[in-house]
Formats: sequence, structure tokens, C-alpha cells
Amino acid sequence: MEGDHRKVVPPPSLVARNLSKTFGSASPALDGVSFDVQAGEVHGLVGQNGSGKSTLIKILSGYHRPDRGGEVVVAGKRVETGIPAAARAAGCRFVHQDLALVESLSVADNLALTDGYPSIFGTIRLSRSRADARRELERFGLDINPQALVATLSPALKTGVALARALLGARLSRVNLLVLDEPTATLPDAEVHQLVDMVRRVAADGIGVLFVTHRLDEVAELSDVVTVLRDGRKIATKAINVVDKLSLVRMMTGNELADVATTAPAGPALTPRRCLSVSNLTTSELRGVNVDVRAGEIVGVAGLVGSGRETLLQAIFGAVDRDRGNVTVDGVSVAAHRPGQALAAGVAYLPADRLSKAGLMTLTARENLTIGDLRPFWRWPVMRRGVERREVREWFDELQIRPRDGAELSLTALSGGNQQKVMLARLLRRRPRVLLLDEPTQGVDVVAKAGIHRQLLSAAEAGAAVLVSSSDLDELVAIAHRVLVLRRGLVAAEFRGHEVTAGRLSLESLGAAGTEPS
Amino acid sequence: MTSEQLVASQAAITHGRRGRRRITFGLDRFSGLYLWAAFIVVFGVWKPDLFLTSVTLRTVTSQYAVTAMLAIAVLLPLVAGGYDLSVGASANLAAIIAIVFQTNHHLGMWVSMGLALLAATGVGVINGFLVVRLHVSPLIATLGMATVVSAVQSIASSDSQPFPPSSPSWGLLSQRTFGGVQVVFFYLVGLAFVVWWVLEWTPAGRYLRAVGGNPEAARLAGVATGRWTWLAFVGSGFIAGVAGVMYGSQSGPSLTFGQALLLPAFAAVFLGSTQLTPGRANVWGTLLAVYVLATGVKGLQLVTGVQWLNDMFNGVALLAAVSFAVWRQGRTLRSRRRRTWLSRRPANEDVGAAP
Repeated sequence: MEGDHRKVVPPPSLVARNLSKTFGSASPALDGVSFDVQAGEVHGLVGQNGSGKSTLIKILSGYHRPDRGGEVVVAGKRVETGIPAAARAAGCRFVHQDLALVESLSVADNLALTDGYPSIFGTIRLSRSRADARRELERFGLDINPQALVATLSPALKTGVALARALLGARLSRVNLLVLDEPTATLPDAEVHQLVDMVRRVAADGIGVLFVTHRLDEVAELSDVVTVLRDGRKIATKAINVVDKLSLVRMMTGNELADVATTAPAGPALTPRRCLSVSNLTTSELRGVNVDVRAGEIVGVAGLVGSGRETLLQAIFGAVDRDRGNVTVDGVSVAAHRPGQALAAGVAYLPADRLSKAGLMTLTARENLTIGDLRPFWRWPVMRRGVERREVREWFDELQIRPRDGAELSLTALSGGNQQKVMLARLLRRRPRVLLLDEPTQGVDVVAKAGIHRQLLSAAEAGAAVLVSSSDLDELVAIAHRVLVLRRGLVAAEFRGHEVTAGRLSLESLGAAGTEPS
Repeated sequence: MTSEQLVASQAAITHGRRGRRRITFGLDRFSGLYLWAAFIVVFGVWKPDLFLTSVTLRTVTSQYAVTAMLAIAVLLPLVAGGYDLSVGASANLAAIIAIVFQTNHHLGMWVSMGLALLAATGVGVINGFLVVRLHVSPLIATLGMATVVSAVQSIASSDSQPFPPSSPSWGLLSQRTFGGVQVVFFYLVGLAFVVWWVLEWTPAGRYLRAVGGNPEAARLAGVATGRWTWLAFVGSGFIAGVAGVMYGSQSGPSLTFGQALLLPAFAAVFLGSTQLTPGRANVWGTLLAVYVLATGVKGLQLVTGVQWLNDMFNGVALLAAVSFAVWRQGRTLRSRRRRTWLSRRPANEDVGAAP
């Protein structure tokens, strides 16, 4: 951390002291974390999911108030916590992973939405606005046409625009701290270095940068100092030149490498029959993925945000476009963008986002459960509601959906876990040959989760090929016979049986198992 | 965790639709019926000699049958989440075609009617194409089509009001009476019955509701969203055609009635969706809304006879009913949200509020 200090050494951009945050009676999400970010320093903040990174960021932004005794000092001044406006007034700026840009507006407009349009007698001075935008962007070495629509920019340039927008007020009030919350999670490799360059320029202005990521390569490339969080506690703050990737990972995972899969399920009755076969699947986020799942097998998919894990199952099912690649089910090929065809071939898909992609919130639980196939109830001239109700009651009993007589309630009246079970029942009643499940137990309580896992295991026993994509590594350890780890759009590793441990999955996801990405 | 959920679910039941119905005698679901009764009592007491007559019954049932048909045409695509603003224009086109082919081209009544229905159905096919294939928003697609259809109507009628067909069977098509009520009302009941059957008792209705609820979720669940949306527009066009032919038979040629009936039809559907099964546009609720409003308007006309009453009454009734429904819905949503928020993270709020 050399750097030509001016005559007066500026105060640290951020001094965080003893920050804790407890939600309810659970163990604290953040537990006594203290660290400093010097002016002009790029400070990496790394940790696994649930390590407390986002809680920390939310405290800094004033969204959460820390537990008693915590203190945030920005550029020498104590900031009142729990008030977003106070954080902003103190010169803290945030760029979140979803950049919150208006895609349908031009770059200049996006900047002006924050900063206000230059105007004369209420009329926007367009050329001034564009010139201002160009100047702001050039500060970060960005040569972007201010009139270009944001939607047409590459991901890295979009991040740049968000960055420029976050720092716009710098002329009016001093910006002391810039927080980048996983800005690179969805960037392609080639564009990451562009961002690195921009961040360097920001730091060169004497602004402290706190850079949150799970990509360890970038931490090494970009940060001067790195702080590691695990289970809400600070493990260490170290200068980047004294740590290597492996030691970072050990700090992040608590050396879970030694742990043993405790609940690895018995391997499937090995049938040689490949039920689902995916070859060379390529989309904007996947770079040629091959997956085979045998009948009776549960295969897990792990990977960080941006690894391609979120799109893999959608692409297999045909919910999103594929650029290349073949998907066959028992030898029958399934075309892209034809969910109907995939369903007819015996593939069932559970989307990750229940609210926007799975739940029919205006319909009842019964109607949600049966919507996939109404043929069994149709006898000219009417649908036999009695038959339908009976079947729905059976599924309510089978999956222990509560309330037991809730079939006629609107889906929104059920709790999240029970809604998810209704979605699962919707798939299972089709007796699918292939089950594709995206985050099957997201936002579901422990008991419901166990129930869902039991259903998946029995579906596999009954001969279904199950592919589960989950950000919950313990879930994969608990139910998968085999786990694929995706990294940067490729299958980076594969573990089977007792090899599957949360530690290994985590290491491979982070790309730091001492092996280079294949 | 589970016991907590059970409690929450129980609360949802008791606060849900069923519980409220038991406690409040269905004041919300059946408010239309109560209002209807109130109208009949009030105007019956006020103007018993004019209002409480079979003439009133006959005129109200017959006069509003076409409006109700058009409302059903609006209802069908609305269930699938699409506005069809072209039903008025389609109905008008159908009426003009049915009449012009009889008077100017001397075709038979049934052939002319067939052509009229074909034209209106064609409008629905094009609407469906625009919405499903070209992904134009239904509002814009049907608004544009409404304008195009008006132009086509001008071409068909050579921009002048045609003479009514001379054949008496044309008028009798809708005006023949049974028990004093014009047959058009029975057509309406038949049509309503068929659409009710489709929406409530066939898979098609379920699919349409699913598409209307969340098209993406419906698509991923295996519903052929495009096909059902398209069919809804085609059905809407056909029903609008029927309504138009009936209007032509009942009231004679008019170049503008379609536009005038469009908004009342929409109002009836929205009002109707607050009735019987609140939150769901439904056939009988729609008919109820049409006839409750009609009764109110009829009664007021007998009392005052001013011209602006019809519009004022319909507009205010729509705004009041829908505002009330939205407010009530918002209230239950808000309270539910508050409940889950509190049950999930009870201490968090306290910490946040602590100084």
C-alpha cells in the first residue's frame, strides 16, 4: 500500500467498530466486526453465503441499525446508524449487484435521474446533459456515447455507468466511501479487467473502496487489503500480498475440507440407462455443459451467482433460449423454448422464483396443483370437481401440506413452505421421468424442507432422474448422489457419494481448490 | 415452526373468504344483489305506478341484453389477462354488414348474418395474431384494430346509414316475445350459460384463468398460453359479432352504437368481478352488474328524466365499486404482510425501533 501521501494524511474512509446484528433469537448474523478502509484503498471483503457480508453492507448503507455498541465512522465523522440519508450525507455510495439502471433510457438520462437535468426555464438542455455525462464517464476511462441506450451496453459498461452515477454527487459533496456489492458476479471474464481499471481510478481520487465479492481472482487482482468473514465474525484482515488463494479459502470455509459427508444417501440402484442426457449446452451464461442423469439418480448442481447454475435447468427445460446443445430424454430430443414439448417428454421443471415463475397467485391451491394436467378430470360435458378434490386431498396428505383443508384457499393464503409443496405436487402428479428443480427449498422452513427432500428421494427411488440446482450446499450434501460444480459456465468438478462435502463444493465453486478452471 | 405456521394458516382461513361470508352475510360478494333489492324497493315506493310494472321488466331485460352480450365479449379475453377494446367496433361492423348485405346486395338474412359473424370473428383472429405472434400489448393491438375496423365499416356502409332490411323476420329475430320478454334476452342467457360452462367447467376456463394470473408460470406449467390467449380473442370477436347482429335486428342500423356500448360493457365486467367470486371476472357477476345498473338508471329516468343521468350513474357506480374492492383487497394484503413480517422476524422490529 504505497501511495504518495499528501502532506496531511487523510482520516480513514471507514472505521467500523464492533458491528453486530442479531435477528430475533437466532445466532447473530454479524458478530463484533471491526475493520478500517483507508482513503484511496481498495479493500476486499470476502466470505461465503451467510457469512454476514450483506448484513454488514446493509448496516453501512443505513438499512439495518447495528446492535448496541457498534460504531461507524466515515472520514473522521461518526455516522448515525440506521438512517440511509445519514450514510449518504456522510459520503457513502453504493453500487449493488443489480445495478438499478433504467435499461430503456440513455446513459445521459440515467445519470441525470440522480443528478438532475441541467435546464433553462424548465426545458432540458440536452447538449449540456450529454456533455456532462460524457465528462463524468471519462473520469473512469469510459468512452461511451451518452445517447446510447443502457440496454445496448455490455455488462461491464453498465457497471461503469452505475459507478459513474454513484459518484456523481462528488462535485457537490465529498464522496468518501464507495461500496461495490458483488459487481462482478455476472460479468464475463473478459470484461472484469475493464471494471478493475475503473475501480483503480476511483481509488486514485482518494476514495476508499470496499469491494464485496466471492471471486478470489479479483480480490487478488484488485484489492490492496482483504477482510475475511465467516459465520458473522471477522476472521482476518490482511494485506493482499501476504495471502494466497488457498489460505483465503481456508479462512472462508474454516477448513471444512476435513469434514465428512454425514448423510450421504445410499447410491441409486445402478441402472446403466441414461434418462436425461445434455450435451454441449450453450447459452449466454453456459459454455458447453454436459450432464447425464440416470434413472433413479439425484444429481446436484452447485455454483456461485453468475456461474451459470441459475440458467442450467431453465436451458435444459427450454424455459430460456439455447445457443447450442442437445437435450434428450430417453433418446427423444427436446427442443428449446418448447416447455410443452419437454413436459410431453416427461420432464417437469420447478422454477426458482415461485412468485413470478411458478405460483398462480390468483388461483386456489387446488387449481395450482392440478393446472399441469386436467385431462383426468374431464368427462364430457364437465370437469369432475369431486375427482379433482379427491386427488388434491391425497396430495395434501402425501406432502403434509397445511392447512389440511386448504385446497380451496387462495395460494397466497398458504405459507411459503406449503406453497412450495403445492408446486412440487404439481410436478410429481405428472409422474415425470425427469425432475428439474431450481432451489427447491428456498425460503422454506426446516420441517417442510425435510418433507420436500423425502419426496425427492422417493421420486428417485421410483425411477425418476432428478437434477437439483441449489445454492444451499448442505441440501446437496443431504440428497444428491452426485454433484456437479459449475464455474464460469462450465462444469468445473464432479463429486460422487461420500466425496460430496460442503467444503469441497464450496472450494470448487470459488475456483480455489488449487486446480485451474478446466 | 410448524405450529406457528398452523396458527398463521388458521388465521388465514378465519380471515379468508369463507369466514367473512359467514360473519357478514356476504355483504361484499352479494352487495350487487342487496343494491338491486334496494333499487327495487326505493323506486317501487317512489314511483309504484311507473316502476313496478311488467313494462319496466320487459324494457330493462330487452334493452340491456346487447350491452350484456358485449360485456361477455369483453370478459373472455380479460380472464386471460387481455383487454379487448375492439369489441365495440366489431359489433358495429357486424351489424352494418348484416344489414348492408340484406338491403344493398339482396342476400338472405342467414347468409348476411353468417358473413357478419365471420367478419367479427376475423377481427378476433387478427387481434390474437397481433398479441400472440407479434407480441403487441393487447391494449394497443385492439385499440388499433378498433380504429381499422371502424374504417372498414365506413367502406362497407359507403359512409351512409343503410336502410333497415324490409323482411319482418329480421326484426323478429330479436324482438319476438316470450311471456312479454324479447327473445334476445333468452339468447343472452344461453350465451352466458355457454361461456360460464367454458370458464368454470372445462379445462379451457382453468387454462385461461392461469394465463390471466401469471402467463410465465402458466407457460412453465405446460399451459399453451399462446393458443388460449388467441382463442379468447377469437371467442371475443365472435360474441361481439352476435351482439352486433342482435343490435341491428333490435334497434336498426346505426353507425356509432358500438363505441357507445364499449365503456358500459367494460364497466359491467369490472363491477361484476367484485361480485359472487370477488377478484375474479365472472359471467353471472357481469350480468348482475349490467342489470343492477340498468335498474338504477331506469328508476332514475322515471323520477327525473334528465339526459346526463345514464352516464353519470354508470360512471360513479363503477368508480365506487372498484375503488371499494381495491381498497378492501389492499387492506387484507397489507394485514397479511404485516402478519408474516411479525411472525418471521419479531425481534428485528424492536431492535430497529430502539434508540
